[in-house]
Amino acid sequence: MLFPAALGLGLPIGIGLAAIGSGIGIGFLGKGAMEAMGRQPEILPKLQVAMIIGFGFAEALTIYAFVTMFFLQGRIG
Amino acid sequence: MQTPRPGRDILDRALRASWLAAIFIALVLAPSHPYDALSLLAGQLIAFLHFIFLRKIVKLFTEKRGGAGALIAIKLVLVYGGLMALMSWGRVQYAPLCAGFALPFAALFLKSMMMLAFGAGPASLMRRGKPAVLVAMFLALAVTSPARAADPLPSTSGTHGATETRPGDAATPDPSHPQPGANAAEAHHEEGAAELPNWLVILHDWNPGNPVINWLDENQVIVFAWIAGFLFLFISWIAMRNAKMVPGVLQNAIEWMVESMENIAGGLLGEKHIQRHFPIIGALFFYILTINMLGIIPGMKSATSSLDLTLALALITFLYVQFWGIRNLGIVGYLDHLAGSPRDAIGWAMLPVMLPVHVLGELAKPVSLSCRLFGNIFGEDTLIVVFVGATAMLIKASLVALAVPPMAGITALFMMLQTLTSIVQALIFSLLATVYLYMMLPHEEHGPDESHAEAHATH
Repeated sequence: MLFPAALGLGLPIGIGLAAIGSGIGIGFLGKGAMEAMGRQPEILPKLQVAMIIGFGFAEALTIYAFVTMFFLQGRIG
Repeated sequence: MQTPRPGRDILDRALRASWLAAIFIALVLAPSHPYDALSLLAGQLIAFLHFIFLRKIVKLFTEKRGGAGALIAIKLVLVYGGLMALMSWGRVQYAPLCAGFALPFAALFLKSMMMLAFGAGPASLMRRGKPAVLVAMFLALAVTSPARAADPLPSTSGTHGATETRPGDAATPDPSHPQPGANAAEAHHEEGAAELPNWLVILHDWNPGNPVINWLDENQVIVFAWIAGFLFLFISWIAMRNAKMVPGVLQNAIEWMVESMENIAGGLLGEKHIQRHFPIIGALFFYILTINMLGIIPGMKSATSSLDLTLALALITFLYVQFWGIRNLGIVGYLDHLAGSPRDAIGWAMLPVMLPVHVLGELAKPVSLSCRLFGNIFGEDTLIVVFVGATAMLIKASLVALAVPPMAGITALFMMLQTLTSIVQALIFSLLATVYLYMMLPHEEHGPDESHAEAHATH
């Protein structure tokens, strides 16, 4: 298979896979945060901060794939 | 000054000021670029008509009289039809037309900001800061001067001079083979991914070969980072110029933002450390927020959509964190921390593995910080560019009625998303910096943290 063709096929699939992982992670985080909020609403401010940081870590994985795509995009031809 | 409807007064005076400015600029431009001067005046006229019609329509609506629909139709035909006709005429240059159209808006914005700040318009600057006005006029003259007419080998020597006199600038695209200025700039723009044209690109297209514009255009990221920095400084200076015990509107807003940011970061870092480290954490948050938000304004660009700036910010954070780690733990304690704090035989046996892992982990932090910010902002910008490009293609295929309303709606939706992304990314960047700092600080400060939490609970 030609390198540009392989790249053109592989980049979107790679981003999609990364997005699946991040989505699962963010979903678990959100679920846990929602449950904790329901049990103990007064902890909301501290919880939100921790949740947002967790979102940042989980989302970063997709962003790495995204940045990789930008770096390799020019070589698709 | 205290009229019952001050907004109306400001609009009148801003329109008058913008007419004066337009006529002045047109007179300056007229000898070298006569058609540009005319297009500038035409753009100013159309924007003026836009404001006049807008005021009449608003008046009809507020007084609940009929005829607003007809007026809107007349306005649409006259203002936007006139704009399109002027653009398709061909003689009219795009850049000065846009500049003329933007003049009343800029005058209104400046005037209302300055009224808020000083209780007087921009004309008061003439009396207060003469050097600033002189510098601004000199810059305007330098930018508008045609480099083409000045020397026989215009663009080549122009760009070359600009790159030669500033050897420290690594941002020049390719100094190895000097091309004519316009071609080099075009290649420079085509290399990068698609982005909306900002005012520097428009300026460059209008007057290529001018060394000042070339320099500005090559260092767009720096220019927009400066703009954001000065905006940030200006707004905070206005808000805190006359700090009172009972705060005014702006002071209240700024204080609320700073205090909530301090509370969020203080919840992570603890009462003792936040006093010391909040300046850099808060500065990171508000600076990144200002830069991100700048990208929403048409004609501006968020400088964080370039890896250079985000990497610089992340490196600053990295160095700051390492410095405080060494200062708090001492050299030995720092090395111990990096080695994973070996206390028993297994810990010492794992040392050759743990040390590289920890060092790599530390080095991965700035990379992850910068790539996250860059990827988010750049992705958001690219999304908007894609939709604007699709709209432009549909307009080119003369499907205006079909294309513009839904596409504009979608773009506006994504711009709201961009606002959210800007805030969340600025928050994540500064909070992660806080977390990295927290990992480096000595961990036995649970006492003050708990007492801090208790103090909050008892309130």
